[in-house]
Amino acid sequence: MRSDNLGFFLAEAFKNMRLNLLMSVTAVTTTAVCILILGMGLLVDAHVEGIVRNVGQDVAITAFFPEDIDQERIDEVAASVEGYPEVNESAYVSKEEALERFRETFAEQPDIAGSISSDVLPASIEIQLNNSSDSSAVADRLRAEGFQDDEIRYPQQTVDRLNQITGYLIWGLRGATALFFVASVLLIFNTIRLSIFARRKEIEVMKLVGASDSFVRTPFVLEGLVQGLIGAIPAALLVVWMNSLFVGWAQENLPFFPISSGAVNALIVLLFLLFVGALVGVAGSFFSVRRFLKV
Amino acid sequence: MIYFDNVTKVYGKDAVALENVNLGVEAGEFVFLVGASGSGKSTMMRLILKELEPTSGIISVNGVKLSAIPRRYVPKHRREIGCVFQDFKLLPNKTAAENVAYAMEVTGQKRRAIRTRVPQILELVGLRDKLEAYPGQLSGGEQQRVSIARAFVSQPPILIADEPTGNLDPDTSVGIMQLLHRINRIGTTVLVATHDKEMVDVMRKRVVALEAGRIVRDRVRGVYADEV
Repeated sequence: MRSDNLGFFLAEAFKNMRLNLLMSVTAVTTTAVCILILGMGLLVDAHVEGIVRNVGQDVAITAFFPEDIDQERIDEVAASVEGYPEVNESAYVSKEEALERFRETFAEQPDIAGSISSDVLPASIEIQLNNSSDSSAVADRLRAEGFQDDEIRYPQQTVDRLNQITGYLIWGLRGATALFFVASVLLIFNTIRLSIFARRKEIEVMKLVGASDSFVRTPFVLEGLVQGLIGAIPAALLVVWMNSLFVGWAQENLPFFPISSGAVNALIVLLFLLFVGALVGVAGSFFSVRRFLKV
Repeated sequence: MIYFDNVTKVYGKDAVALENVNLGVEAGEFVFLVGASGSGKSTMMRLILKELEPTSGIISVNGVKLSAIPRRYVPKHRREIGCVFQDFKLLPNKTAAENVAYAMEVTGQKRRAIRTRVPQILELVGLRDKLEAYPGQLSGGEQQRVSIARAFVSQPPILIADEPTGNLDPDTSVGIMQLLHRINRIGTTVLVATHDKEMVDVMRKRVVALEAGRIVRDRVRGVYADEV
């Protein structure tokens, strides 16, 4: 293709869109809906993964002492934990302190707060690590000290459990997103094909006066590209905007959920969605025209 | 210029459109291809354009065997042949000038050349005032003139016309035929499929008659049908 033809092809593409306005609007709307669905799926996925990752970054390990342990042994363990190279600092939480915390947590529900005596809650040692990736190593050391598996709480455990719970959820969401996406891509393809089918006579004439395949195809592909982008731009912006709304709302209303704006890179999501929109438009036009070029 | 060597075309399994057709058209000739609907005239036209492939036999146009032309060179082959159709086949969304220009654009000609050549050729076919008219705003005869202008704008060595006057009244048809005659006089090989008896009888050109897919008659200065 000669470069001075680009102006001609672009003019053709825009003229065609103006003349087939209804079809263009349909294709643009379908693309927008498709990109919206894809964007939503990506957001939910990113936030769920963000929560899981955030929990994993927690650098605390808690080890609970058994009921029958004596103070001497507790001091001994506390001293040796202080000596671990991975440990930043550690603090002993007595049964009384544990009860105090419990009462604070449930201060507004005196029924629960009053129903517990100091015997029920175990004493524990809370360990702050320098690096969350050391949690398994420290857990191993604690086991060597005589702690049972169910007496140690560390992030990796939580992460594993969260993963177990969210695993199905995430894959379900991904599956649904993929299905919706495939359905809407097919819808877009069909819309484009309808609009090209309506113009198959024109394509035939073009071929009969000696136009090469690429000469006929280029305006259609450019049209698909422009339609894809026009549909994707508002959808992608909407997705990014809704994400910032959601993050703001969650931080206000769900403070105990680690939802952060860092879970989603708005720029990358935006560019990715625009790229997908453009690609779907181009591919849809390319393959739809091809069927009618065989003259 | 155009040679059919024992060409047979069968549509589907057993719909025979052409049977063992042998025909030679020399450079600069004006040939009428006559016959009833379904006698195979259009099939011959479409074979020449390589819109269809023959079931058997060899067709060569402009010294090239059509079977030897790969698919991607078909557009180049078609640019050597101007074609005019009964239903004009103009692009409805383009003006008369744009329709003619399109045939030059596909060959990648300079915009400057297109701008000067298109009005010239439309003036030649008598449509100087209709450059910006859309096909829907033109009469049948005018549309056919546009389509002839488009076929001839790049001055191809061959011009084929499939029932060019089939949709036109007799007076308009005369004008179209005169146009084709003029194009022939400057050296273009012209092949016209028609069942317009009057026209053929007046023009006194070579007449090739088809009947049920066979050539039944070939007269140098012929008429539509031999006197009984």
